Amino acid sequence: MSNRIVETRTVRTFGAPRRDRVQLMNLGLLGALLVVAIVLPYLGVTGFVISLVSTILIAATLAASVNFLAGNGGMVSLGHAGIAAASAYGAGWASREGFDPGMQVVFALGMTLAASLVYGLLSMRTSGIYFLMVTLAVGMLIYGLAFRLSSVTGGENGISGIERPEWMGSYWIYYYVVLAAFVAATAILYVVGNSPFGASLRGIRDSESRMRSLGYSVRSYKLGAFMISGTIAGLAGLLAVWHTHFVSPSSAGVDRSVHLIVMVILGGVGTLLGPLIGAAIVVLVENVLSSHVDRWPTILGLIFILVILFARAGIAGSTRKLFRRLRARRESAVSPPSPPPPGRSDTSVTPENNTAEQHQGKDLQ
Amino acid sequence: MFEPVFLAQQVLNGLSFGALLFLLASGLTLVFGLMRIVNMAHGAFYMLGGYIGVVIATLTGNLLVAVIASIAAVAITAFLVEVVLLRFVRGQEMPEVLLTIGVSFVIADLCLAFFGGDPQNLPNSVRIPGALMIGDFAYPWYRIFVIGLAIAIGVALALVQTRTRVGAVVRAGVDDREIISAMGINIRWVFTGMFVVGAALAAIGGTIGAGMQSILPGVQNEVLLYALVVIIIGGLGSVAGAAVGSVLIGLIDAFAKAWIPELAYFTIFLPMALVLVFRPTGLFGKAA
Repeated sequence: MSNRIVETRTVRTFGAPRRDRVQLMNLGLLGALLVVAIVLPYLGVTGFVISLVSTILIAATLAASVNFLAGNGGMVSLGHAGIAAASAYGAGWASREGFDPGMQVVFALGMTLAASLVYGLLSMRTSGIYFLMVTLAVGMLIYGLAFRLSSVTGGENGISGIERPEWMGSYWIYYYVVLAAFVAATAILYVVGNSPFGASLRGIRDSESRMRSLGYSVRSYKLGAFMISGTIAGLAGLLAVWHTHFVSPSSAGVDRSVHLIVMVILGGVGTLLGPLIGAAIVVLVENVLSSHVDRWPTILGLIFILVILFARAGIAGSTRKLFRRLRARRESAVSPPSPPPPGRSDTSVTPENNTAEQHQGKDLQ
Repeated sequence: MFEPVFLAQQVLNGLSFGALLFLLASGLTLVFGLMRIVNMAHGAFYMLGGYIGVVIATLTGNLLVAVIASIAAVAITAFLVEVVLLRFVRGQEMPEVLLTIGVSFVIADLCLAFFGGDPQNLPNSVRIPGALMIGDFAYPWYRIFVIGLAIAIGVALALVQTRTRVGAVVRAGVDDREIISAMGINIRWVFTGMFVVGAALAAIGGTIGAGMQSILPGVQNEVLLYALVVIIIGGLGSVAGAAVGSVLIGLIDAFAKAWIPELAYFTIFLPMALVLVFRPTGLFGKAA
C-alpha cells in the first residue's frame, strides 16, 4: 500500500505529461479570465462591480498565499488574516502619523516580515493540527493587539482615512493595480511551487522524516515557505487597506482566517485557479447574498461542510477530476484492454487527490 | 500590590478562572486523545450551552435544571454532528478539523439568530449568594463553588479513566484502535460517546461560566483560544496536563489583569511560546 502511494506521488512530482497538460489548461483558462478582467472597465460596468471585483482579487491574493502553504507544504494556516492585518496596520499607522504613501509601503512590509517571522518561528517545529493551532493562536494574538493596544491601533474604531498613493487614486487605475498584483502573486507562487524549493517542500509534506534523513533542513524550508506566503499575504493586506481606506481589529479576526480556509477548500487546495474561484464565491456570498439573507454565515458554513463532505478537492480540483475520468473512459473505450487509470478505485492514492488534507490524514495511519 | 488580601483574592480569581478553563479544556483534550480531532466547534458548544443554560435558569430559577438542560441540548447537537458529519471523514485528520470549523460557524450564527447579540449572564437568583468572609478578605461563594465543581469533575474523570471498564476501553483505544475493535468493541460508538462527553463538559462550562463572564457573540472564539493555549501547554490528550495548564493560565491571567492590564491578553501566550520552543508536545504530552 505505502509503496504504491510513493510510486504515484513520484510520478506526479517529477512531472508526468498529464500534469503538464492540466497546467497548460489552467494557464489557458487563467489567460482567458485575465483578458476578461482587463477589458472589464470598458464594458460599461458600474463602479460597484469594479470595486467588488477588486475585493475578490484582493481576497484571492490572500487565499493564494494560504493555498501555497497548504498545497505545497501541507500546512493549513488559520492565522493568515493576522499577517494581512499586521501589514494593513503598518500602513495605517504610517498614514495616521503623517508619513507619505511610500513610507506606508515600508511600514507595511516591515510589519509583514515581523509578523510572518513570529508565526514561522513558533510554528516551524509543528505540522498538521499543531500547525493549525499555533497559527490560530498567533492570529488571535494579533487580533488582541489590534483591539487592546489602542494608542497605536485605534482600538475598536481602527484607523480610517488611509490614502493610497496619488497616482493610483482613481478607482479603475487602482483596479488594474490590484489585478496586476494578483497576477504577479499567482505567478510568483506558481514559479516557487514548481521550483526545486517547491519540490522539496512537497517532499517534506509527504514525509518529513524521509526528507530529514536525506539531509534537508526541514525547519528552514518550512520557515522559508511561511515567509514567502506571509509576504504575499502582507501584500494583500496593503492592497485591502488602500482599497477600503480603513483597518479595524475584525480584519485580523479568526472569522476572517476561517473565510480564507473556506475559500481555499472551496476552490481546491493546491490548484492554480482554486483561490480565485473560492474567493469569488465567498466574497459574493458575503456582499451580494448578505443583502437578501440575514443568515449568510450559516449558508457559508453549510456550503463549506458540504464541500468537505462531498467535493474534497474543491471546485477546481473536482472539475479537473471529472475531466480526467471522462478522458479515461474515452481512452478505455477506444483501446480495450487498457490498463486501469491510476488509482481509480482507491481514491486515497489517485494522483489528482494531491490535496494537503489527505496527505495528513495518511500520516496518522 | 503585595498585600496578603490582594494576593489571596488574585489567587482565587486565577483558580476560579482556571477551573472554568479546565471544564473547557478537559473536554477538548479528551476528544483529541481518543479521536485525534481538535474540535474547533468546542467553543461553539460552550456558547450554545451557555445560552441555553441562561435561558432555562431564567425560566426555572434552578441552576441544576439549567445545567441538565444545557448538557442535554449540547449533547444532542454533538451526537448529530458526530453521527451525521464526522463519521464520513473518520481518520482523515484535516477534513475532520475543518468540518468542526464549519459546524462552529453555523452554530455561532444560529445562536446569534435565536439569542440576539446582547451579552447574557446567569440571573443572580440562581447564583450562590454571599461571600466567604475572613477578616478583611471577602470572596464570592459562587466562584468557590466553580473551583469545587471543577475539582470534582476532574477527580471523577480521573477515576472513570483509571478505575472503570469504560475508562479502560478508552485508554486502550487511545493506544491502539485496531486492537480494541478486534476485541469486539465497537470503537465507532466509543468515539461518538467520547465526542458527546467532551461537548457535555463544554456545556457545563458554558452554563456555569455564564455566572462569571458574559455569553455573547464572539465568545466561542475567545474560549476556544484559551482552551487551545491550555492544552498546548499541558500536552494534547492529557487530562492532567489540562489541569496543570488551566491553573497556570488562570493564575497568570489573573495576576496579569491586576498588575499589567494593557498586556493581560499577551501574557498567556508567553508560556505557550516557551513550551512550544522547548517541549513542542506540551508538558504532559507524548511524542506524536
